Amino acid sequence: MKKLFTIFLFMLLLSVTVNAAANMEIAFWTHEDPNRTEIEDRYIAEFEQANPGVTIKRVTSGSGQIQELILTAFAANQGPDIFNMSIEDEYAYIVNERLAPLDFQAAGYPSLQAVYDTYVPGVLDPVTYKGQLYGLPLELTNWCIFINKKVFRDAGLDPEKDYPKTWEEMVEVSDKLCIREGEILKRRGFDFRYPYYLVATVPMVEQLGGQLISDDGKTAIVNDEAWLKFLKFMQEWGPSGRNLGSPTYTNARKLFNMDNNDIGMCHTGLYQIGRIKADNPAFYDSKEWMVVPFPVFKDAVKDVPAAYYGHYYMVNGQKPKENQQMAWKFVAYMLSHPEEYLIKVNIVQPTVELMNSETYKSMPYSDVFGDDMAKGHIVYYGENSAKIQSLIKEAVESVMLAGVSTEDALKTLRRKVQEVLDEG
Amino acid sequence: MSKRKTSYSIERKKTRWGWIFVTPTLIFFLLFSFYPIFNAFYTSLFNKKLLSLKPPDFISFNNYSYLLKSLDFWDSIRATLVFTLGTFTPLLIFSLIFAIFIMSRKRLQKFFQIAYYSPAVLSSVVAAVIWLLIFDPRGLGNQWLNLIMNTPGIDHKWLANSVMVQMSTMLVYFWKYVGYFTIIFIVGLASIPQSIYEAAKIDGANDWKNFWYITLPLLKPTTILVSIMSMLQCLKTFSTQYLFTQGGAPLAPINVITLNVYHTAIRDHQIGRASAMSIILFAIMLFFTWVQFRTSRADEISY
Repeated sequence: MKKLFTIFLFMLLLSVTVNAAANMEIAFWTHEDPNRTEIEDRYIAEFEQANPGVTIKRVTSGSGQIQELILTAFAANQGPDIFNMSIEDEYAYIVNERLAPLDFQAAGYPSLQAVYDTYVPGVLDPVTYKGQLYGLPLELTNWCIFINKKVFRDAGLDPEKDYPKTWEEMVEVSDKLCIREGEILKRRGFDFRYPYYLVATVPMVEQLGGQLISDDGKTAIVNDEAWLKFLKFMQEWGPSGRNLGSPTYTNARKLFNMDNNDIGMCHTGLYQIGRIKADNPAFYDSKEWMVVPFPVFKDAVKDVPAAYYGHYYMVNGQKPKENQQMAWKFVAYMLSHPEEYLIKVNIVQPTVELMNSETYKSMPYSDVFGDDMAKGHIVYYGENSAKIQSLIKEAVESVMLAGVSTEDALKTLRRKVQEVLDEG
Repeated sequence: MSKRKTSYSIERKKTRWGWIFVTPTLIFFLLFSFYPIFNAFYTSLFNKKLLSLKPPDFISFNNYSYLLKSLDFWDSIRATLVFTLGTFTPLLIFSLIFAIFIMSRKRLQKFFQIAYYSPAVLSSVVAAVIWLLIFDPRGLGNQWLNLIMNTPGIDHKWLANSVMVQMSTMLVYFWKYVGYFTIIFIVGLASIPQSIYEAAKIDGANDWKNFWYITLPLLKPTTILVSIMSMLQCLKTFSTQYLFTQGGAPLAPINVITLNVYHTAIRDHQIGRASAMSIILFAIMLFFTWVQFRTSRADEISY
């Protein structure tokens, strides 16, 4: 009886061990995007069917919250197997060696070079560190200006001719598009996406000849004149200046899709087209919207459009080797559908094949985005880029809202960014 | 001799039961209060980065000396003190006034209690989100104020002006917690024996004299409790300031210590420095609590 019980116990333990080895759960955390959810849920079902015993658990969070969720999870050594964020938030994970380098064999490539050859040159540079590759791009995005033609015509303007080509024209056109009730803006002409200063506003400084950080990476804030002119521009834009917009109003990009006569222009990426289609098909079908290039200052010394940024899929280096391999295999499976991502989600996975495809070239306004991207550069990224971005936010919002002079704001910004650089 | 032995064993029995009842609470406090405090103090002595897997360098009290020299940190101290004084004082005064008002009602006492208390049930995040909508330039805040003041079209810049944004955070906190402290005052008022008021009435005291010479002195323990609780609550404020800055409000005027701790830890990944900041906040809270106890020692009331 005792012997029988021991055998039974042994068999039970063995079955539990075998079962645990056969079943693998891959946690995949990503930002909310209903259009992506639809196709990625299907990829998950297909992948699970092709790989019995593997379960992919996809968890989505708001694009503003995911950074701290992933950070706190990693701080507690409980990070997901796969995640993605914008490169300026992801880079700290690379330099702190929290990630698994790409397993090219698990991802289905014959060599690491084959991975580099698949993508447009330079796209994988931000995720290459000490000779290892740490990410594959979910999307590469730049921003142009989206225009609501009805709002232009309502203000007596011709959208095809009168759209703003310079920031000075942006002020004048916006002023004409605004509908005010006293000091309160009922309709804004254009407004910025305020939290994303590295993407859209640092290029404005660069147009004027300034730089965030010197070429040798040691000095913060290059060319005071350019920075002061930019800060003055933002001060004039705000409620204490010409009152054209403010960070305290609802995000312009969110309002744009609704076509509620409360915003004339906003800046955003190609993915916005997919979101207009999903949120407001009537507005999408009406063709009462168009996309134009990112403006430059009249006296710009450089033609710099908005910086492009990448969202890269990354794999947690603290997970067991077999999880890492399975995670890379799944990432590669998802990314083997770049055309579907482009058609259904309007995001660009910058493979050489996709960028040369008819699908991409025939995409509405892909030429506008493509031309701007060709002139631009990747967003500033570093271990402390998230902090530097919030310091620029502080400076801009202090001149727009808190009555701080542009000189004082610049002085504070320089001191703080320099401290970040000095601390490494 | 046997009498002494009996009382000794009863004493021991009482003590044992006392320990049995107190132990779960002690374990809870050790685990969730004392351990985090000691751990934060220990972490504050290291140059610890949130994402780094390397063992952190021991830097002694360098994080503290850095903070004491940091303009940003002093700005946070200023923002915290302004918020605490601006919120704690009206909270204390108005919760007492509301409590007396409710207690003086013969009808609808329960209704007023629920009405005042209901915002306290909401989570701070939900409360801040509701007020963010109210403070939107096109929101109810401007509409109501313009209607009352007959100033159509004026943007009161609830979140877009450094003075107004501080006032707005105070308003949200006041709205949320005034009912909670009102209920505590009501409990304090209810415990004052009616016989004292009746005796005073016979002696010819009016309501005003009753308030100054009976209610207020006998309410002293409750007042101390409310003042300490509300002050600590104000010093710990976070979610309103956090959500307002997310909603576009400028950071500097409302960059309270807890918000600075959050940014230092989560945005800058400097968990050692953030721990030092939270230990300083703990010391400030401890100091003010001690001051309040010192200035109101004779708080033992017997009827």
